Formats: sequence, C-alpha cells, structure tokens
Amino acid sequence: VRLPSRVSPAAERRRAWLFDLAVALAVAAVAILLAAGIGVVGFLALLVAIALVLWYGVEALVRMLSRRRRAGQERRRAAAPAELRPARDARGAPPGPTTRSGSGESRRRRL
Amino acid sequence: VRAKGALIFGSSAAGKLASMATAPRERRYPRIPFWRRLRRIVALATAACLLAAALSYVPTMAEKHNVGFGVTSVEWLRQNGGNPIASEIENWYYELNAPGKGGPALTSLPKVGVAAAEGGEEAERKRVYRPPRVKPILHPALPDEGIWKPAGAHAGRRPPVLETSFRSDPEYPQFVAGVAWIDHNRTRLEYTPGTAEPPEPLAHRGAGEVPPDLRKRLVATFNGGFPLETSNAGLIYRGQVIAAMVNGIATIVAYRDGRVNVVRWHQGEGAPRNVWFAKQNLPPIIYEGKLNPNLTDGPEWGETVNNATRVWRSGLGIDAHGNLIYAAANYQTVESLALILKRAGAVRALELDINEDWTSFIGYRHPGGGEPSNLLPEMFRSPERYLVPDERDFFAVYLRGGQRW
Repeated sequence: VRLPSRVSPAAERRRAWLFDLAVALAVAAVAILLAAGIGVVGFLALLVAIALVLWYGVEALVRMLSRRRRAGQERRRAAAPAELRPARDARGAPPGPTTRSGSGESRRRRL
Repeated sequence: VRAKGALIFGSSAAGKLASMATAPRERRYPRIPFWRRLRRIVALATAACLLAAALSYVPTMAEKHNVGFGVTSVEWLRQNGGNPIASEIENWYYELNAPGKGGPALTSLPKVGVAAAEGGEEAERKRVYRPPRVKPILHPALPDEGIWKPAGAHAGRRPPVLETSFRSDPEYPQFVAGVAWIDHNRTRLEYTPGTAEPPEPLAHRGAGEVPPDLRKRLVATFNGGFPLETSNAGLIYRGQVIAAMVNGIATIVAYRDGRVNVVRWHQGEGAPRNVWFAKQNLPPIIYEGKLNPNLTDGPEWGETVNNATRVWRSGLGIDAHGNLIYAAANYQTVESLALILKRAGAVRALELDINEDWTSFIGYRHPGGGEPSNLLPEMFRSPERYLVPDERDFFAVYLRGGQRW
C-alpha cells in the first residue's frame, strides 16, 4: 500500500502533521516509560513548555514588528507625491522590501 | 520508472525535474523547514507529557489539603519520582536565603509554656524527677532562658509536659530553640496516621486527627517524621509491619506495656511481639550520649536537603531517665539540632521532620484539647493542626490511665 504521491498542498501539510504527531507520541511514551515517575516527566515537560512558549512568543513578536514596519513604509510611500515615488520595475512591482519574506512573490521566484 | 519513483519518494534531483516536467501546477507552499518540524514534534511531545502528568496532578490537587498550593505541588513531585529534583531546588533556595552570622542581640525570648511550675520545687525534686535547667550558652542569660515551664495550665506539681527555650548558637545569637520535656511516668505516646501518610493501606487509619474521645487526656502533639518514601525506613503500627524495618536506623519504639524508647534498630524487618508501634527515621543523631560522628551528608540521611543546610528542623530524644525530649528551631543544621537535644539532656535522639510546613509541637493548656499553643510562636502551622484531619502522621501524648490533669 502506497500513499498517494500527488496530493494537494493542504493534504501534504496534514500528512506531515500526522507524522509529527505520531513521532511526538512515541517520544512522550518513551519518556514516561523511562522516567523515575510521572512527576519528573511533568516537571521537565513544564520547563520545556515554558521555553517553547517563549520561543513562539518571541517569533510572533518579531513577525508582528516587521509587519508593522512594512505597513508603515507602505503608508509613507502612498502618502508621498507621485513624482517622488520610486519607479516601478518592469512587472509593475515597487522596489524594495514590499513583499513578505518567504511568501507570495518571493516564494514563486525561489521555486 | 525513475520519474514515478521520484514522485513517490520525492527525493532525487532527477525525480524533481521529472515531476516538474509532468506536473504543470507548481507547488504553492514550500516545505516546512526541518527545525520547525522538530520544534513542532517537541511541542506535541511536551503537550502529551503534560497531559499525562495532569491526569495524576489534577486529582491530587483537587483533594483537600492542609498546606498551600506550592507545598502540595512539591509533595506531589516528591511522591512521583521527583524527590531528587525537589531536594536540589530546596537546597538552592535555602543556600540563597542562608542567614548571616551575628546581628543584634535579643533582649527577650518568646513566651513558652504557662506560669512557672507550682509548689515547692526543691522538696518536690527529691521525690520526683524534674529535668535540670538547660544551661544558657550565651551570657548574660535572658529572663527565663532554659527554665522549664508547664505546657498546660493548672498542671499541678508534676506537669506531664514542660517547655523552655534558649539561644542555641553563639554565632547566630538570634536563633531560639524550643524544647519540650515529656514525663514518661505520667504519659503515654501514641502514633497517629495521617490521612495520606503512611500511604500504605491501614486497618486502623482513623481520621488523621486526635480522636475526640481521647482529647480529654491529650497533653501534647508533635510531627511524626519523614514520609516513608523519603526516609527509606520502616514502620510498625499496632503490632503490624506497615513498612519493613531497617536495621541500624533510629527508631521511636512504644512497647505494649506503655514504655517508650529511642533506639538504634537491630531486630530485623519484622515486628517483635512486645512492640506496639515503631517509627524509623534516618540514622541516630545522638547515640549513648555522643553525637553521631557522621552528621555530614550521605545517602543514609534520606532524599532530602543537605544536612548542613540551615532550615527548620525538629528532633526527638530520650534522657537518661527515659523521658522524651522534643526540640525544634529554625535555621538549624543536623549537627546544631543534635547539639540542642544534647544540651537539653538527650542521650539518644533522631531527627524528625524538617521545613516550616511540617514542624509542629503543640501543647494543650486545658483538657479536651483546649487552648492549643505552638512550642515556638514562629512555628508556621496552626496550633489546631492535629485537632482537624491532617495529611501527615504525628505523635500524640496522653495522660496515662489513673493520672489526673
């Protein structure tokens, strides 16, 4: 039995998610079996959870700040007189970092 | 065939080229970076571990407890394999909060006991034994330092329980030790299980408090020592072995005839016929009048904070006349606790509980558990502690049959 190879990106994401979940459950089961008690598992898991929450939080904060900065740049550009606006490139896209890193246009270019 | 294989596994460059050639639709989303997937796996595994731990933690916390949320959480951690972690954290905490030497001298001691013993003391001393005054270490002595006072009001010329306090360490002149002396001729010691300690099933667990029908004879109660899980020691209750006894461990023994003793156990794992209860706790700290030469840390001292860590500590000893002596104080090491007990007259002694949450000696001023009072005002737990259900086991001191309050 083989998994379908040509699947939609959403299905691919779901598949990866399920795989990760299975690996995570296996890791958790091994940890619980090997630890001296569930207290040790809970305590260490709490520490890891705090570290992960901080990591995700900092990442979200950085993303939010960069989005705000970009939005500010867009607003300033839109408010400037037409003759002061920088010329657009051949495809009509404005110069500079106007697209999200790793999304949309830039992703298409990478692929 | 090669292109088909590449489509299935999606790994070789040729396969990628082939798939790009056969698939006109380009991928809209890039693959998730490896580190992000690894982080996701760790997050999911952590969530699974937390869920599993919560299945044990939440029901424990939902039960009724006498102590705070933090202490109950630490106790849960200790009971579920986390004893070394909890002890290590406690060591860090106490080392960070270690008291400084010196400081201003005290001008008075906390009030201990009630009025001075009634009656002609000199004449009485000739007929019944009374412990001598605990000689003060620091001079000049403070008023009432080391002088025994009855724990109960109207206790007559032979109070069953006497209390005193004294400054125990010249380097730390603000530390005050509380000591209680229990007359073995007038009293009977009983071990009382708590609602959760010992955890083993018991035929006569009781309600974890002093039984109401015995309160008319109640004169004192005090904490019962480490939980069995952390003391690595044994327990005999009502003549039955609850946890196998361990040779060489300090043991409070009560015999069926009412005598009590503090001994180093040498009778094997079982329960001798004449033993009513026996509770073990760590090696003796004083034996045959001498301090244990090995009061430094080692595995024989249980899974707890270091012996040299200054923390609330309590201990129980016995004097040369067979009377029990209880001592407790804040900021004590095992050695300084042993010195307090020795100065109070103990010839054999063991350590009982440590930490402010577990250290209690309560004297009852009146019959029926009336007006309970902690040995030292700094003692953290309520004086009512053993008149309501308590999780931990304890000792209760009753007047013997025929003895009047």
